[in-house]
Amino acid sequence: MSVIELEGAGRSYETGGGTVHALADVDLVVDRGEFVVVLGPSGCGKTTLLNLVGALDVPTSGRAVVAGHDLARAGRNELFKYRRETVSFVFQSFNLFPGLTALENVRFGADVAGRPDALDVARDVLNRVGLGERVDHFPAMMSGGEQQRVAIARALATGNPVVLADEPTGELDYRTGVAILALLMEQATAGRTVLVVTHNREISQAADRVVELRGGRVVSDGPPAGGRRDVADLQW
Amino acid sequence: MVSDEDGRTGRHAPPPGFWVRWSLRDLRGRWVQVVTIAVVVALGTGTFAGLSSSAAWRRVSYDASYRVTNVHDLLVSLAQNTTVDADALRAAITATDHPEWFEALTTSLGVSVQVDASTGTETILVPGRLVGVEMPSPARPIDTLSTAGGRSLRTDDAGADVVVMDASFARAHDLADTGTLRLGGDEEVPWVGTGQAPRYFLPSAEGGSGFGARGFAVLYTSLERAQAEAGTPGQVNEAAIRLAPGVDPDAARTELRRTLETKLPEAAAEVRRLSEERGYRVLYDDIESDQKFFTVFALLILIGAAFAAFNLTGRIVEAQRREIGVGMSLGVPRRWLSLRPLLLAFEVALIGVVAGLIVGWLVGAAMGSVTESYFPMPVWLRPFQLQAFLRATALGVALVVLASVWPVVRAVRVPPIQAIRTGPRTTSRGGLAPIVQRLPLPGSTITSLPLRDVLRRPRRTMLTVLGIAATVGTLVGLFGMIDSIYQTIDNGETELVGHVPDRMTVSLQTFAPTGSPTLTAIENTPGVGRASEGLRIGGTVARPGVDISDSNPLTNGGSADSNDRFDVLLDIVDLRNSVWTPTPSEGSLDSASPALVLSRKAAEDLGVGVGDTVQLRHPQRDGLGYRWVTSELPVGAIHPNPYRFFAYLDARHAGLMNLTGIVNEVDIEPAPGTDPTALRRALFRLDGVGSVTPVSDEIAAIRVTMDELLGILQIVVWAVLLLAVLIAFNSSSISADERAREHATMFAFGLPTRTVLRLAMTESAIIGILATVIGSLVGVGLTWWLVQRLFAETVPDLQLVTAIAPSTFVTAGLIGIVAVAAAPVLILRHLRHMDISATLRVVE
Repeated sequence: MSVIELEGAGRSYETGGGTVHALADVDLVVDRGEFVVVLGPSGCGKTTLLNLVGALDVPTSGRAVVAGHDLARAGRNELFKYRRETVSFVFQSFNLFPGLTALENVRFGADVAGRPDALDVARDVLNRVGLGERVDHFPAMMSGGEQQRVAIARALATGNPVVLADEPTGELDYRTGVAILALLMEQATAGRTVLVVTHNREISQAADRVVELRGGRVVSDGPPAGGRRDVADLQW
Repeated sequence: MVSDEDGRTGRHAPPPGFWVRWSLRDLRGRWVQVVTIAVVVALGTGTFAGLSSSAAWRRVSYDASYRVTNVHDLLVSLAQNTTVDADALRAAITATDHPEWFEALTTSLGVSVQVDASTGTETILVPGRLVGVEMPSPARPIDTLSTAGGRSLRTDDAGADVVVMDASFARAHDLADTGTLRLGGDEEVPWVGTGQAPRYFLPSAEGGSGFGARGFAVLYTSLERAQAEAGTPGQVNEAAIRLAPGVDPDAARTELRRTLETKLPEAAAEVRRLSEERGYRVLYDDIESDQKFFTVFALLILIGAAFAAFNLTGRIVEAQRREIGVGMSLGVPRRWLSLRPLLLAFEVALIGVVAGLIVGWLVGAAMGSVTESYFPMPVWLRPFQLQAFLRATALGVALVVLASVWPVVRAVRVPPIQAIRTGPRTTSRGGLAPIVQRLPLPGSTITSLPLRDVLRRPRRTMLTVLGIAATVGTLVGLFGMIDSIYQTIDNGETELVGHVPDRMTVSLQTFAPTGSPTLTAIENTPGVGRASEGLRIGGTVARPGVDISDSNPLTNGGSADSNDRFDVLLDIVDLRNSVWTPTPSEGSLDSASPALVLSRKAAEDLGVGVGDTVQLRHPQRDGLGYRWVTSELPVGAIHPNPYRFFAYLDARHAGLMNLTGIVNEVDIEPAPGTDPTALRRALFRLDGVGSVTPVSDEIAAIRVTMDELLGILQIVVWAVLLLAVLIAFNSSSISADERAREHATMFAFGLPTRTVLRLAMTESAIIGILATVIGSLVGVGLTWWLVQRLFAETVPDLQLVTAIAPSTFVTAGLIGIVAVAAAPVLILRHLRHMDISATLRVVE
């Protein structure tokens, strides 16, 4: 069953020098439980694609339908609801709330999604990302890897069916990066749709599908070249 | 520029122009905050400059007004109700050893009158003074009557039923330039113009009990007409003298005093220098005392501006933290790195002070207009006060730049690695947020977020809080002072009105023995219920041991007032009468031997209590005239009237003044059902009646005077209100910038705009509550200082109570909490149009 459907989706910007097409004519269908990596060099439109799916941005052409929501036509309130209940983000630069502890940051996600057992969920997810001992630490007291794990935990705590991750391993060392990837894949196995944006070709080897973008267009879409590998076997 | 052998410069930093360009870019990038802060600085410096200007304007205008009216140097005044032949007075004055010292001389006669200037819409029945001046005017002009409207007196007005009305009185009652009024006895007299003479620039009833121009009418007429009114042809009671250039006024005064004591001993003449006259002194002293208040408020506004600048610069520096770190890692010296934020602060200050010129001009114009209406002098000048503006400009720039130094120094002191680090600050361990973490707060993390954000950066929070608190404090201090003044007036009203709200005091034109036809006529007037006769005279009280032998309060107008000795209005009344008596808050009114009833303020200033002895300088009848004597009297009771100058003595002890059975006023209680205005008119028509003044009118006059005075402060009030709103907005705007990524994250998680806005408003409300609490405490302290220290020093005749009305705290709450909490609404558009993805992508 498809969760994400992009049909000729595009996003362009007007600049002083003319129109810039960040994304053009993208067709993409992602099913429930799929782990998809969007690959490409810097500036190819990866993050724009993620933002369209996450309803942080709207397509200037084509359609984007996620979990039945037509994002180009949805009203403001529907988009807010969509973000609360359908997608959850893992940002490249974490975007944690500095005034909240790790536990509270994660609980924030659960609270926003309206989960009644928010505190228990937050504790559970933090344990799962290996930060059970760091629940009372503020972001400033944690390493970059720990902060990224808190960010992922916050996204997972929402319980939303679509997880969007923007360069989730970009700032992490190999060991931590592998652990994070494993965690995301686990989400897909559990039935969530996971869309990971990265420029790291090695990471794409662990995906179900790899969508490659260049110049804002999809240039390839299929299983990883050379076949899928186990996360533990990845090297970067 | 120094170059080494490799061709490198030794500067290790880009050239100054580079930093200036960069700082200007910062300025543009944060234009909203920059404009806000500039307006705050402009308000501070502008108010300061404007208020300072008004002091200078008043001084030059007063000087010019006295100059154009050819003011006298010395004034000879005879004792109350005493007149002498005009030629005799001239002869006595010129009989001094040095008649050549006197360049010009003119005589006049002031007569107490009751003036009815009622219009179709207003009943105006006030005591006044008919001032007869020489017609034609003396060859060398002296104390010229300056015309404000209509015409002045002419030579052919000599002896005619024509007056010129005091311009202040006319203006206070919105009277036309010409018209017809009635003098006591129902006599219709036309006024042909309005004008002012220097002797009455600040009109007040004799003895200093008058409260402004509104309740006291000065009318100028020919000397002959005034003599006819008083029934004293050829008589005068004042002489104005201008000295020849270079003559020492003190020496002239001493010689003149000596001569008059010899030549006219029965006149009890007093000679004063211009600077010793009550009106002149009050006008000039007021400038200084007003300026003290204005300076305090302007400085408080400037401090608020400095806090706001401090806040802004601190936050800009925070935002530049990473760039500063990058600079440090590239080896740029710290002084160069400091330059950019300091330049920004300087540029903001510069914009602020330039805008302050406009604000200052506007404040000055408003001040000038209010002051001009309150003190309608013949000449008003408003030259640009360069010095005041330069001072304000220097102060504004210095405060803002100095306020920026600390955050800049703090920013460049951190190790580069700490400055460069992305994500939450390594130095920050959550501020005081861990405290909240341990507190069981109800609700979700979302609801507790505002409190955590407030506590996360305690220093920053405190700076914002203090900036708003400074404004709230100024507001409470200002309003508290006004509340205290009105509460004091209310207290005075309660004491003076007592249980007889319609009580009125009938003043006689001259002293009269008990049982005289005038008194009988007054007491038998239909509508008079109860009556109590009394005698009001001037006196001076002093601590024991203080020399008051030179004091003559009937004429010196309190020139020697201090807390050791000051003038009083001594009412010698039957302290057991049924109309009205002072309330003894301590001691008893019933004393077998002479004892004074003093106000609490008088007793405190003299350092005495009930039973202690004070000196009283008072007139004593001696044959047909009076002489001044000093008696030592115990304090019999203390009354609660806040006005220091009200003192009482039981009529049984009038023998002390050799005035037993002599009265000059009657307290009247109208009979039930009597129309007080009709009774007043009836009494007004009686022969020998000088004035009929309802006690409530006197209080009303005080209230109007205070209203007018406080009108000047309205300008400060508006400046403070605007400042508070601007600081609140600035704070919210900066917070919105800082929290942009957090807000974007919330949006990314689906929190609706209204929730994000609510969080921002809650955070602002918390800051507002803290600021209001601190500001209110500061304001209470400020009120106390203004009232008990500054006011006590500048208005020693009044004992102000410190009373802050609940409405003041409500206003403080509205500004400090509601306005501050609502300020984030101003960023709603910003939130609605936020580019979420772009905001999230920004790497610190």
